[in-house]
Amino acid sequence: MQKRTGPVFYILLAGFLVVIMFPFFWQFIASIKPPSELFGEKAFHFITQNPSLENYERVFTQRPFLTYMWNSMVVSTLTTLYCIVVASFAAFAIARLNFKGKTFILGIVLAVSMFPQIATIAPIFMFLQSVDLTNSYLGLIIPYTTFALPLAIWNLTTFYRKIPSDLEEAAKIDGASVMQTFRKVFLPLAMPGTFTTAILVFIAAWNEFLFSLTINTEENLKTVPVGIALFQGQYTIPWGEIAAASVIVTIPLVIMVLIFQRRIISGITAGAVKE
Amino acid sequence: MKQINRGLSEKQIGYLLVLPALLIIVVIAIWPVLRSFWISLHDVRLNNPAKTKIHYQHGVDVEKVAEIYPVLTKNLEEASNQADGETKAQVGAILQQLEEMKARLDANKDFAAKYEKVDELLFEGEPVPEDLKFASLDQKTGEEVKKQLTLVQAQLQKLTDQKQLKEDTALGLARGLNGALISPNFIGINYYIQLLQNQRLWDSLNNTLVFTVISVFLELVFGLLIALLINRHFVGRGLVRAAVLVPWAIPTVVSALMWKFMFDGQNGIMAKFFELIGIVPDMGLLLTTKAGSMFAVIFADVWKTTPFMALLLLAGLQTIPSSLYEAAEVDGASKVQQFFRITLPLLKSTILVALLFRTLDAFRVFDLIYVLTGGGPANSTETISIYAYKTMFAQMNFGEGSALSVIVFICVAIISIIFVKLLGADLVSDSRER
Repeated sequence: MQKRTGPVFYILLAGFLVVIMFPFFWQFIASIKPPSELFGEKAFHFITQNPSLENYERVFTQRPFLTYMWNSMVVSTLTTLYCIVVASFAAFAIARLNFKGKTFILGIVLAVSMFPQIATIAPIFMFLQSVDLTNSYLGLIIPYTTFALPLAIWNLTTFYRKIPSDLEEAAKIDGASVMQTFRKVFLPLAMPGTFTTAILVFIAAWNEFLFSLTINTEENLKTVPVGIALFQGQYTIPWGEIAAASVIVTIPLVIMVLIFQRRIISGITAGAVKE
Repeated sequence: MKQINRGLSEKQIGYLLVLPALLIIVVIAIWPVLRSFWISLHDVRLNNPAKTKIHYQHGVDVEKVAEIYPVLTKNLEEASNQADGETKAQVGAILQQLEEMKARLDANKDFAAKYEKVDELLFEGEPVPEDLKFASLDQKTGEEVKKQLTLVQAQLQKLTDQKQLKEDTALGLARGLNGALISPNFIGINYYIQLLQNQRLWDSLNNTLVFTVISVFLELVFGLLIALLINRHFVGRGLVRAAVLVPWAIPTVVSALMWKFMFDGQNGIMAKFFELIGIVPDMGLLLTTKAGSMFAVIFADVWKTTPFMALLLLAGLQTIPSSLYEAAEVDGASKVQQFFRITLPLLKSTILVALLFRTLDAFRVFDLIYVLTGGGPANSTETISIYAYKTMFAQMNFGEGSALSVIVFICVAIISIIFVKLLGADLVSDSRER
């Protein structure tokens, strides 16, 4: 494997980064262009002479974008919290306790994480409608479990498996019960992994589209992805506002990714790569 | 709590801890899939009040009958008074049939009791409680009533067509009354038979397959190249890794909108760029032609998910001990030989796992296409998930939509089984135990 870094390497790397970053750059430019420069000759200009924050202002004043953000925040946070709690118990048991059928259970978890959402949506929608839970936070948290819980269990199990067994054995010798071992030994040691899993589950819930699109149709209960996707009217697409909203959504993500990149990468690759 | 736990064996605690998660998964994911299949065997339409759910029995909407029946009979009596000769006799016969039908319904005690109460409530202008709205009928009554009402409707249709009635409200009322009847809507595998003969299904399956195969293949190739590129020490490595994560982390909807803006036929910079380098003859053709729009969706998907692929493969590359390469170097193996003899074989299980996840994700693609092309132009990028969604939420035909979603499920299951066969038990087994 070539480990040397030469000019060719840096040129390739730069090319790759340009491809990845260009759409974001272009969105940013579009978001500060006045509407007239989004069309015609000036549509392809890389710099604008009249930068304005008009689009940002409109996103917050003309549209309930703050409400969308709040809804996404509430739904994603609650989904993450409850899935992590339920999944922690299950992951600990599957990774650390001996009982029959645990491989089978993990198999089910993995299988369910592969279920296409569209295959569950009809009954879930009809159920939520019959108990009057459409257009509510709970109406999203319940279906979000279908992907969040398997994801959490799958990731946490890999983290619990990685914890060395010496501490577990020491605790056993000291007479700790299984639950004490879980609480005093595993929970603290699994904190980093739990946190990583929480980030992944949160991102998955934050980005979810299909359930949110079909279940919460009232304006004041829409989530960010659905809100932005439905900015476009029947005949016109307000590109400036969409660009501004995209930038607003992307910035916190970039910050989060910069801070937690190691954790996120370990989370993504956990379970997929055997060490 | 502690004492209880001491009393339980490790095995029991294990089951107890897994139980909540397992129950939730069964209720919230496995039951809906089975239920989807069950719904797909029924004629369920959310925009048709008589078919909003699965009906196992014949039944009747009491509220509707109480609303319509008195008006209809009165209407017909008036019509009978105004008409003469042939028409009068015909209207009279219809009226008699309606009364017979009502008598048949009244023979059902449940119906008769509910009808009386509902009638009173309607008269006083008060809302009708849910439990009074429906009465179930036995099969014989249900079928007989249905037959009579259909006959009444047909006769009124004839009279209206011949313009023998002064007003045509009677026909509408009869139709409404017919709609109050609920029949069991089990239709077996009819939807599947219809769908399998429907070209739109095969087109959408074909689109899904084209999208999946091409985008996953490109993602694998580019992902591997990028992983090989950044698998070394260089300045700014952390920053590059963070940059790689951003497309993966943003909502698919946002990336779809970004590309839609750049692919725009008049003002899109990427469309302009593609025109300049000759990929499309005219920038306007990108999102308006079949091949162009398929290219656009695949391009956007490859942009968003190649980083994910690269990260997975990079993690796999890092588990290969460098001593292997050193030994190969000593033996005089070329870089190409090293790649095919060491890297690829040792990366095989990582590649398969990455392919499995990506293939399934691509196969059930929804957000990206829904936002970027909406399945168009002329259904040329309509995948099976989009087709199912449209059937359910645009046409409100949940029966047929469920049949489509079951087809998606079966395809996904088949793909998974193939991959799991290739991977063996590797996927779920505990590496500590090996």
